[in-house]
Amino acid sequence: MTFGNILIILAKGAGYTILVTLAGIGAGLAVGLLIAVLQTTKVKAVQLLLAAYTFVFRSIPLLVLLFIVFFGLPGMGIRIPPFLSMVLCLGLVSGAYLAEIFRGAMAAVSRDEITAAEAMGMKRVQIFFYIIWPQMFRMAVPGMVNEFTSVLKYTPFAYTVGIPEIMKEAMSLAALTLRGLEIYLAVGIIYYLIYKAFVLLFETLEKRFRIPGLAGE
Amino acid sequence: MDAFVQDLIHYSPQILAGLKNTLLLMAIMSVTGIAGGIGLFYLSLAQNRFLRRGTERFISFFIGTPLLVHLFLMYYGLPPLGIRLSAFAVAVIGFTINVSAYNARYLMTAYNGLDKTQIEAARAQGFRFFQIFRLIILPQALRLSVPSLTNQVIQNLKDTSVAFLIQYPDFFAQMQEIASTNFQFFKTYVAAGLVYLALVSVIVAAARRLERKVALPGLETLGRA
Amino acid sequence: MALIDVQDLIKRFDGKEVLKGVTMSLSEGQSKVVMGASGCGKSTLLKCLNLLVSPTSGRIIFKGEDITRPDMDIHRLRQDIGFVFQHFALYTHLTVEENITLGLRKIKKMKTAAAREKAAFELERVGMIEHRNKYPAHLSGGQKQRAAIVRALAMDPAVLFLDEPTSALDPQMSREVVTVINKLYLDNITMLCVTHDPFLAKYISDSIVFMHEGVVVAEDVAERLFYEHEDPRVRQFYLSVIDHR
Ligand SMILES: Nc1ncnc2c1ncn2[C@@H]1O[C@H](COP(=O)(O)OP(=O)(O)O)[C@@H](O)[C@H]1O
Ligand SMILES: [Mg+2]
Repeated sequence: MTFGNILIILAKGAGYTILVTLAGIGAGLAVGLLIAVLQTTKVKAVQLLLAAYTFVFRSIPLLVLLFIVFFGLPGMGIRIPPFLSMVLCLGLVSGAYLAEIFRGAMAAVSRDEITAAEAMGMKRVQIFFYIIWPQMFRMAVPGMVNEFTSVLKYTPFAYTVGIPEIMKEAMSLAALTLRGLEIYLAVGIIYYLIYKAFVLLFETLEKRFRIPGLAGE
Repeated sequence: MDAFVQDLIHYSPQILAGLKNTLLLMAIMSVTGIAGGIGLFYLSLAQNRFLRRGTERFISFFIGTPLLVHLFLMYYGLPPLGIRLSAFAVAVIGFTINVSAYNARYLMTAYNGLDKTQIEAARAQGFRFFQIFRLIILPQALRLSVPSLTNQVIQNLKDTSVAFLIQYPDFFAQMQEIASTNFQFFKTYVAAGLVYLALVSVIVAAARRLERKVALPGLETLGRA
Repeated sequence: MALIDVQDLIKRFDGKEVLKGVTMSLSEGQSKVVMGASGCGKSTLLKCLNLLVSPTSGRIIFKGEDITRPDMDIHRLRQDIGFVFQHFALYTHLTVEENITLGLRKIKKMKTAAAREKAAFELERVGMIEHRNKYPAHLSGGQKQRAAIVRALAMDPAVLFLDEPTSALDPQMSREVVTVINKLYLDNITMLCVTHDPFLAKYISDSIVFMHEGVVVAEDVAERLFYEHEDPRVRQFYLSVIDHR
């Protein structure tokens, strides 16, 4: 078996890796945006609750969270399938980080522009959609790319709950062939390629939508 | 008393030993990670173009690939070649490289934000590059990166839990073992989560103090991300 | 009947009384300038009039209805009042043209083509048409403020509020903007403008309202107010702003 063969065999698991990553990113964006928007309300209790949420999910290791959800919850009568467990955990954790990134970016939107939009007669929702979000997303790009990279790099944990992504494939293959060095090297290369592809995609998107006077930090 | 609490008390020597291993690993990689990060940062500013490029590739590779892969590569990949490293050694080496890459990134970002005329001025005064690096660049870049570097320490603590997957007897490994004997998976893992929460709180408090201490006028960091 | 009629307007910010019973009015086609020392409540007055700040008490009649009543539709009110800010407040992520068409499309529900046509027409009037595809970051201060004025005017408001429209500009750019506002004045656009600039005040107003510590203390045409007014505070103020130039 050549190194090329190994790469090809493992690349099959890459489909799952990418799927888990994208689903995790999607869940994280949903959670992060929701929190960022809720944080703009002035209700003290809500603010406190959200601060607690971000603190908790930025403090507990993802692996521990995954074990709580996948191995712990069934004992409480809640059974969540492996893929969903993984995506849920990724979403909860990256959502907490993304919320902070969005909050920072939102705070950077000029107060004057929001007042101008209010003075024009725009409603709160309109101000969010037309003024705040387009600027926030652009300014949040570097932070978002970092966070998405983290999600990608957490995906190997999926093997612990039995999802057949790259890492699981690699482990079976290594047990069979005893050529762990080449196999894990191949895993590293595949991950790096996926990472590079993600970064390239984002750089292209960022360039495509770039606006003078509005860049990430 | 609750049976679960009794369990925890019964296993407390084991838990504490695990906690010690976790904190030890975190402390080591936090220190070696800073040292390695500074080294990589220095290389990334090298005159030699190939060295610079190589360093950037190196950093990018280790940021772009999962830590677990590096650990598995050393732990399961080397023995067939006759190289047998302990789980501890693998963890220290793997984490050091990984954390160094991140820290180097933070320092580079801070460097890019520095006023470069200072470097011109230092060169005009006759300083050599290494002196400029040590006396002008590094003190400022380190200060500006304090929030990122302390965030990385928190990340380090959390990442130690990964070492359990290569049989390093860290805190989480102990909790996992307890869970598989008393079958109280939920309670045990939540308890583990709470311990991490408490440890992170301590680090955050310490980090806040450090940030205030190292702040210089004109070099305030812009809060944490 | 006046377009805007303010009676005994009071505004307190947590206990601090900033407006202490302002009474004034503005008729359709009329242009007034509000002057007075920094911190006397000019901006607060403008913001109360379009409910960006909610008044503590008093009555504000706009087009015959009391806008301080609780069930007032503030969004509809604000559409009827154009607002120009000291620091331009152009939307950073939109081009000049998009800054102008955004309100037309999303608030006035105009079709894109019609909105662009309207924007082009208005930009032409202030000599900004060739800049319509630029982003705010690429404009000079004077160009930004002209774009901001167009953005407000394009909504066809009943009245245009300007809060120190030239204060953030150097004299050269300030001149550009004064010229534009003067043109609006000659076109009988209804305006209420806060400024410290006696030059601007003179060229764009029918009369000047002078405020001091939260109340209107005088109102007259520029010449009489500055040179002949019996209240020494008013003459003093004029001398001080003249000195600053
Ligand atoms: N939102 C606010 N909260 C508290 N105080 C305010 C607020 N807005 C304005 N003020 C105070 O009201 C006073 C008048 O402000 P402003 O109307 O902006 O003055 P001017 O525009 O005449 O310079 C100032 O003392 C200012 O500090
Ligand atoms: Mg003001």
